[in-house]
Amino acid sequence: MYLEGLGNTLLIALIAAAIGITLGVIMAMVNYINKKTGKLKIPTKICNFYITVVRGTPVVLQLMILYFVVFAFWDNGIMIGAITFGLNSGAYVAEIARAGFESIDDGQMEAGRSLGLSTWQTMRTIIIPQAVRNSLPPLFNEFIMLVKETSIVGYVGIYDLGKIPGLIQSRTFDYLFPLLIAAVFYLVVVLILTKILHIIEKKFGKSDRNQGGVTNGK
Amino acid sequence: MENNVLIQVRDLSKSFGELEVLRSVSVDIKQGEKVVIVGASGSGKSTLLRCLNCLEDPTGGEVIFEGVDIADPKVDINIHRQKMGMVFQQFNLFNNKTVLENITVAPIIIRSKQLRRDKWRAFFKKGEKPTLNKEQIVAEEKEKAMKLLERIGLEEKADVYPSTLSGGQKQRIAIVRALAMNPKVMLFDEPTSALDPEMVGEVLDLMKQLANEGMTMVIVTHEMGFAREVADRVLFMDGGVIAEQGSPEEVFGSPKSERLKSFLAKVL
Ligand SMILES: Nc1ncnc2c1ncn2[C@@H]1O[C@H](COP(=O)(O)OP(=O)(O)OP(=O)(O)O)[C@@H](O)[C@H]1O
Ligand SMILES: [Mg+2]
Repeated sequence: MYLEGLGNTLLIALIAAAIGITLGVIMAMVNYINKKTGKLKIPTKICNFYITVVRGTPVVLQLMILYFVVFAFWDNGIMIGAITFGLNSGAYVAEIARAGFESIDDGQMEAGRSLGLSTWQTMRTIIIPQAVRNSLPPLFNEFIMLVKETSIVGYVGIYDLGKIPGLIQSRTFDYLFPLLIAAVFYLVVVLILTKILHIIEKKFGKSDRNQGGVTNGK
Repeated sequence: MENNVLIQVRDLSKSFGELEVLRSVSVDIKQGEKVVIVGASGSGKSTLLRCLNCLEDPTGGEVIFEGVDIADPKVDINIHRQKMGMVFQQFNLFNNKTVLENITVAPIIIRSKQLRRDKWRAFFKKGEKPTLNKEQIVAEEKEKAMKLLERIGLEEKADVYPSTLSGGQKQRIAIVRALAMNPKVMLFDEPTSALDPEMVGEVLDLMKQLANEGMTMVIVTHEMGFAREVADRVLFMDGGVIAEQGSPEEVFGSPKSERLKSFLAKVL
């Protein structure tokens, strides 16, 4: 039972992270291009509105709305959970990635453009890789948050790690033990993820010692 | 050296909001000519240079490069920029690319795109089959980049990242990165201003080499000795206009306006 919960937790977090990163990076890119060229005014406004609304409302509420209203016809709780957390984390990732884009010197884009590359070619080969690399540590923290937050999915009745103590407890009436086990499971997962983060940081840190944030004790 | 004009600037103006930085500047730059732009800080030197390849969009006027008004928003600026190299004060090497990749990235992307286009054209029988494939293009560009690195004596730095290099090395690599596109003109914006004094020489030497090879060059600099030695023409900018121009002897030797005299008194 714990294993099934663990699987669901990670599955929801993974799908949510994929949605969140895609959405977030796109929103940050729209913002960046608008800032540099002034060309995407309306999309930028829409993104900012989205970010404000999502960050300004509790995720439990968002989950309820998607589960009971938007996807009322659909009983795949795991997917709805993943989508909700993905849409939610997209707003946070957008903020992280925006800072990542802003940390990049304007000269990088200018150099690309001066060589005859288009804005998009320069974004793709020069700007995005640096922006993503600069925001990897906070992005990974966001993912760890996501793993923990998915326990909320338990509220709308999907089996997930955080929900299982409740189930076991209702049978065994032993309050403390199941909660402790769940806590230990979360802790182990988060510790493993943190370890992975350090490995990634080391690997990416090699490419350039001057770019802030990523290099770890090098 | 032919006497034909490579870049014609006509009534160029540029404002940042209310601030008028260039006021109806007109100047011709001939093929092979070395033009040095001097002037006080804020006089609009960088802005003029950056308008030449439309890195700054002019507010008015024309920049005619090889017969095309590239200030016109309708032209595909990227095609024209490929033939205008630019070197920045802060080098602006790509941080996420090795030295070799810095030089090859733009030509490879641009030629690969052309290759894809040519393949489609050939497929629809609208053109010849391309002679080189992607791998050959990459190999060719790498070889060219290595030759450029050998030229500046930095071939052993091919696989390192820019952050490990000195300022002088970075700037020389930035120069050959621009050369890798086989530009018709090179634009320099204070290429030695961010360098430690002992590295200025190596960069100026490379620029002199280019000058001797007949490259058309437009250079914003405070290196008056270099200007005297290399320039065919010196432009003195003041308040967004070219206030005075002429040979180095004329501009440095017998300045006419008070503004130029007081500027020279400060820098010489
Ligand atoms: N992107 C910009 N936005 C607003 N104002 C700008 C911008 N770029 C330049 N300016 C202003 O335009 C004026 C001319 O700037 P420019 O950089 O062309 O001067 P410069 O002659 O190159 O000076 P310096 O010797 O300091 O480099 C300055 O007053 C500057 O503050
Ligand atoms: Mg300047």
